[in-house]
Amino acid sequence: MTAALFILFAGLAIGCAISMVVQRNPLYSAISLIGVFISLACLYVTLAAPFIAAVQVIVYAGAIMVLVVFVIMLLNVEDEERRPLRLRSLVPIAVMLAAVLFAEAVFIIFFVQTNPKTPAYTVSDIGMTSSIGGGLFTTYLLPFEITSILLLMAIVGAITLARTGGLLSTRAAVVPGAQVFPRELLDRQRHIDDLTPVATHSTREAEQLLGVEHDDDGDEQ
Amino acid sequence: MVPQLSWYLALSAVLFTIGVVGVMIKRNVISMFMCIELMLNAVNLTFVAFSSFFRDLSGQLFVFIVMTVAAAEAAVGLGIIIAIFRNRESLDVDDARSLKL
Repeated sequence: MTAALFILFAGLAIGCAISMVVQRNPLYSAISLIGVFISLACLYVTLAAPFIAAVQVIVYAGAIMVLVVFVIMLLNVEDEERRPLRLRSLVPIAVMLAAVLFAEAVFIIFFVQTNPKTPAYTVSDIGMTSSIGGGLFTTYLLPFEITSILLLMAIVGAITLARTGGLLSTRAAVVPGAQVFPRELLDRQRHIDDLTPVATHSTREAEQLLGVEHDDDGDEQ
Repeated sequence: MVPQLSWYLALSAVLFTIGVVGVMIKRNVISMFMCIELMLNAVNLTFVAFSSFFRDLSGQLFVFIVMTVAAAEAAVGLGIIIAIFRNRESLDVDDARSLKL
């Protein structure tokens, strides 16, 4: 029974993973990846780890993939176009490295196979929420605290990366000289189809383009 | 017939390899990001399988921590992707040649 479930969900996971790599539309890739996550959650249940299975569904299939799909929709990603293969000379090396990786995996699998352990299918509290919480707050308290610091850093980093504040902050007094502006940054109100950037060659041109006026120079617009 | 530990390890190896291949052949940043998530999940499967077969709690705790790291990675990584797209109008990794945004 468990073997049948394993084969079912393992096949589903591998099929969805291959589908994810083969798809050219990122949205289809994301949906395939959700299939992989759900299959893995089912495998966690058969491994007597219900808490990890629930967290897998909530955090991975729920939060992370919603974020990814949101970004795909936000950026309006189109399909990848087919392009000729670069670095064709490296293909034999790639095949050889893949063979080495496969051989290592086979070696490890058979190495484990010769030392079989009795699987834990008797009733135990290993995967239960209370035992995980107990371990998390006693033995592994330091990794837990480090993880919280990591999350804080991720929050600050994400806000820093996502914050635009416009092209110039409201208190900016100095306009840089020669540079290239994306057209949509210059005019946020209108929808612009032309996506070619605008180049300026002097500070004065950049000022005119951005609509920034100098106070100390009377004759400037 | 009961699944052996090696079955789970083999599945994990296959999933990890598919993730590696995806990172290699994909040129879209978001697709590469999803392949990295797949690799993280393959490692998680190994952790849970060992934890369940050896009756040790540590593996599942580390899966929990790996998931937290993956969530942080998703937040920061997608922020970087949006910043790249905003500056380059493209998600192609071949277009992003310099680290300067």
